[in-house]
Amino acid sequence: MSGLLINVDNSFRERLWKNLIIAIPYFWLLLFFLAPFLIVLKISLADPIIAQPPFTPLFQDNDDGSMSIYTTFDNYLFLFQDSLYLVTYLSSVKLAFISTVLALFIGYPIAYGIARSPQPTRNILLLLVVIPFWISFLLRVYAWMGILKTKGLLNGFLLWIGIIDQPLELLYTDTAVYIGMIYSYLPFMILPLYANLEKLDIRLLEAASDLGARRWEVFKDVTLPLSMPGIIAGCCLMFIPAIGEYVIPTLLGGADTLMIGRVLFDEFFLNRDWPVASAVAIVLVLLLVLPIVYFQKRQNQELWSES
Amino acid sequence: MSENEKAFIQIREISKHFGDVIAVNKVDLDIKKGELFSILGASGSGKTTLLRMMAGLEIPTEGKIFIDGVDMTNVPPYKRPVNIMFQNYALFPHMTVFDNIAYGLKKDGIAKDVIDEKVNKMLALVKLSDYGKRRPNQLSGGQSQRVALARSLIKEPKVLLLDEPLAALDKKLRQSTQFELIDIQEELGVTFVIVTHDQEEAMTLSDRIAVMEEGEFVQIGTPNSIYEHPNSKFVADFIGNINMFDAKVTSSNEQELALACKALGGEIIIQNPGQTIHSTELSVALRPEKVIIDKQQPSDEDHYYVKGVVEDFGYFGNLSIFRVRTSSGDIVQVSKQNRVRIEDTITWEDEVYLSWEQESLIVLDN
Repeated sequence: MSGLLINVDNSFRERLWKNLIIAIPYFWLLLFFLAPFLIVLKISLADPIIAQPPFTPLFQDNDDGSMSIYTTFDNYLFLFQDSLYLVTYLSSVKLAFISTVLALFIGYPIAYGIARSPQPTRNILLLLVVIPFWISFLLRVYAWMGILKTKGLLNGFLLWIGIIDQPLELLYTDTAVYIGMIYSYLPFMILPLYANLEKLDIRLLEAASDLGARRWEVFKDVTLPLSMPGIIAGCCLMFIPAIGEYVIPTLLGGADTLMIGRVLFDEFFLNRDWPVASAVAIVLVLLLVLPIVYFQKRQNQELWSES
Repeated sequence: MSENEKAFIQIREISKHFGDVIAVNKVDLDIKKGELFSILGASGSGKTTLLRMMAGLEIPTEGKIFIDGVDMTNVPPYKRPVNIMFQNYALFPHMTVFDNIAYGLKKDGIAKDVIDEKVNKMLALVKLSDYGKRRPNQLSGGQSQRVALARSLIKEPKVLLLDEPLAALDKKLRQSTQFELIDIQEELGVTFVIVTHDQEEAMTLSDRIAVMEEGEFVQIGTPNSIYEHPNSKFVADFIGNINMFDAKVTSSNEQELALACKALGGEIIIQNPGQTIHSTELSVALRPEKVIIDKQQPSDEDHYYVKGVVEDFGYFGNLSIFRVRTSSGDIVQVSKQNRVRIEDTITWEDEVYLSWEQESLIVLDN
């Protein structure tokens, strides 16, 4: 009898610990993701006023001592009325999308090469991928300004070897933004791809080859589909920060490089219109989260339909 | 060898080096058409490397491989009339069972309705007709093995290479699958080359076995000849259980070989040894099942015998295994079929007589 009691006690304790451990990440997300998100959401539903803080409170005291809740969708309507925002969103998506695709094409062979190299070399190559993180991101972007400017390193070099006879106009163009984005976020593409490709069973490739597949067919039929999770992870890790990027378009891009990060900054700090800025941020989050939720759902459905 | 019996696979002086390591060292081998041939060896003996060279997955450092008279040495795997069934099967996890089996045909650009027909026929052959839509992770070990077999047979290869085909299965399943493999091989007439470390598997499956050690063949022959006539201490020890004792040559001529062997009771005469003896120090080997154990002293003059005490014994139901310490102090292993249900059993500390027929003794050069 007593044994049974102890068992019950143990299983209860086990459950408690399990719940506690699961609770930690949830608590973390609640504190640092959901709570700030709700605050921003609240601000996006307010009117701008000249005050401290510069928006109307959610709960307002009426003259008769009662309380009422004040919300407005004006800020969201405004986003859709002024075409600037729509154009900026599209331009951000385009910039992030093209950078991600280019980074995938550059990162995949690199990740594949690292995954297939012998163990000691592999560690050195991985270190080389990560080493840029040891230098401040801002410094590295500034360094690119030095490389890309009209009398910079790149133009100097190209003029010297004689490929061009006039310096290229690179800095303050979209090209510079693409270069900066791909350079900065390439490790985020390479690392998940590497983690995936490193696990790839060589015998599957040999089996395909044995069954009559040429090298590129082996890649198309086996390597590529099996590395899809790595591709999706790498693209997400790059696309999500890239779409809201502020520093790179500000430092390397021209006046006509429209990105949502800059609009956000301008609304907050130049216009001091916190509610509109918050609305811009909320729409951005929805823009990112909705496709991801859709993807996840579809993946789950596929998993379920299989079994 | 007559013209129509000419070897189907000819391996000539083939070697494979990995850096300083010599995995396969100047090996020659002939395999006949339709044969079920096993390469048996411990891990690291070079057997898998040899198989991979036949498949084209490894390029030989030197030497040549001919299949059906054509030089295949440098032909890439996708152009060889050979398919391989991998250890642990290497099924494509992202494809259904049907697509796994159909893959080889698709790569050959065969029409879809022909593929469907062939794959369905193959699924029936391996008794998996209802499993076409499953994924590899939804299959049991035995089912995966059959899918792998189907996938490697679908292109009707001239040679099927099997790398440890049964190693991943549990014992019961292994036995039934062994006979299935033989049936399928007989039905299709494909030449099978099997690589295995499991001597039992090699014995039951094969027409012929090549025993491999450190990149070279030690002995090639039928399972029976390898078991009953091992040509070296290594083979005798590697295949089955065996008792091995030191012996000295006292006299030898064409008809008779006289040995002094303390463990087996002194002088032993071997008639027609059938092999030339080079050294004076030899080993005499005796399989445990060829020793007769009895509490009564044998009367038969033809039998040699020694006296001993049972030191240890194990009962396996169908047979019992005894370890007997002889009067010379050596240990002899004996296995005895339990043919009679109720008998005067032999147990620990019993005094027993061990006897054997003279022909059972195997003489091995040191």
